[in-house]
Amino acid sequence: MELRCWGGDWGLPSVHPECLVVLAYARFADAQLNINLVDYTWTSPKGAAPVLLFNEREIAQPSNIISFFRKQKYNADYVLSAKDGSDTLAYIALIEENILPAMLHTFWVDAENYSSVTRPWYAARTPFPLSYYLPGKMSRDALNRILVTKGQPPLYSINEIEAQIYKDAKECLNLLSNRLGSSTYFFGSTPTSLDAFVFGYIAPLYKAPLPKVHLKEHLKQLSNLCQFCDHILSSYFSQNASGTSPAGQEAIDANLQKLTQLVNKESILIAKMDNNLRRSPQNRPQKLATLQPTSDGGIGNSAQPLTP
Amino acid sequence: MSLVTDAFVSQIAAVEPWPENATIYQPMKSEQVLLSDNASCLAVQAFLRMCNLPVQVVCRANAEYMSPSGKVPFIHVGNQVISELGPIVQFVKAKGHSLSDGLDEVQKAEMKAYMELVNSMLLTAELYIQWCDEATLEEITQPRYSSPYSWPLNYVLVVQKKWEIKRKMKAIGWAGKTLEQVYEDVDQCCQALSQRLGTQPYFFNKQPTELDALVFGHLFTILTTQLTNDELREKVKGYNNLNAFCRRIEQNYFEDHDKDSASGYSTRLTKGPVLP
Repeated sequence: MELRCWGGDWGLPSVHPECLVVLAYARFADAQLNINLVDYTWTSPKGAAPVLLFNEREIAQPSNIISFFRKQKYNADYVLSAKDGSDTLAYIALIEENILPAMLHTFWVDAENYSSVTRPWYAARTPFPLSYYLPGKMSRDALNRILVTKGQPPLYSINEIEAQIYKDAKECLNLLSNRLGSSTYFFGSTPTSLDAFVFGYIAPLYKAPLPKVHLKEHLKQLSNLCQFCDHILSSYFSQNASGTSPAGQEAIDANLQKLTQLVNKESILIAKMDNNLRRSPQNRPQKLATLQPTSDGGIGNSAQPLTP
Repeated sequence: MSLVTDAFVSQIAAVEPWPENATIYQPMKSEQVLLSDNASCLAVQAFLRMCNLPVQVVCRANAEYMSPSGKVPFIHVGNQVISELGPIVQFVKAKGHSLSDGLDEVQKAEMKAYMELVNSMLLTAELYIQWCDEATLEEITQPRYSSPYSWPLNYVLVVQKKWEIKRKMKAIGWAGKTLEQVYEDVDQCCQALSQRLGTQPYFFNKQPTELDALVFGHLFTILTTQLTNDELREKVKGYNNLNAFCRRIEQNYFEDHDKDSASGYSTRLTKGPVLP
């Protein structure tokens, strides 16, 4: 089995949440993967990751890949009862509805984070002309997803939605922290697919060196979730997670570094242009975030006085 | 802006008791309402009945456009208008009525998770079947959705709504799914709900919560609605405890109330769209 995924950085085996979910599950289930990192060569041009290649078949999306692993007898969930299996499905839905939008926003929509961290990182790992297009496309897709799923009247603009999605994400992190309690994993002492999903979605927030960090600050206060990430990283990803040989890896790394430097220069220019273009005030989100009520909040956004 | 409104609304809401003339607005039940809207309306009605809060049901052809969020149903209480189950639950809680107060933190997390599961699987599947399956769109959705309007508005609105839903499906990765895969997802969701419910009367044993209201709204609507084929209904019918669960809520919260309110104002129940 071959897995195509985005590479690692910041102490993580992959910086891309969905790739991280798949990698974590593969480790938990002890599945041997031949990992093919997306890099600046044209071997995996579309930037579609994670994708599992098996006997000419291509399987995309983490949930499909995980159910494929199960069919191949790489099952990390065999310890779960039927009810636990249902809970897993429900919590995954919770994470996808509440943490994913804020995660996408933090990495791909927030202008400061995007131009100083996300864009240079992904551009450095994409072949030359595509590196000018792909990060932008991923950013537009992320914004579109947030607007389409969360943007309903009376929240039309991204600034208004932003306050709501961060509030939802913080509440969801609190719920997960409560659910985890003091146990090592969500269902006792062995990791399961839910652990893979939670790890995949929160570890990048926890580890990424982002300039704007309000969700990270919140996450850091939930010490059991942070310990959970550290614990998985140390017990399952302590050595180099990639499957390529060390020598080849070094060559790639050296090349990558050169390329990163080039792209960084480029991106500083682009960031400047970006900032000029995006005239929306960038300090506003932070202000809103600090205003947020703690947990059970008030009435949802769609309440408003009646004007007859 | 919503944060200020939130704080304001909860302040106001806390002081005023639940008024006698609270109203819930929803689309016309016999000729207009669609599967997904009906499920949402029924969920809110079930929730308010579980809280024992009287509410008058009013059907309006333009309910969707009256709603502050563009989604049905919405309630009009005092001088407030609130739409959709989530905000309504919070509003009612601010008034001092809550179904989930007895739950501990872990159970609350679990309840929230299952509600997201229902919304992300069942609701999305209903929308997919209504708007992306050509047969259903042509036979049921189009005539019903456009019923209050005359040409050319009836076409314009349907196309507009269809694009809106398709855009959403594309964004969440459902655009490439086939109808079969959607039915599979519904089955998976029902299986999860069935296993979670087990032999208990409600999801958190004796006491119903907003999760029960939401699940009831969706499953009851699917069970009582005739679509172009029976596949969706058969998926739900396969789970006996879920069927019994729907009957239980119907008996406990809808039939009794109907008898009680025979002399009162019209709290009439809509039991799913009566589709051709």
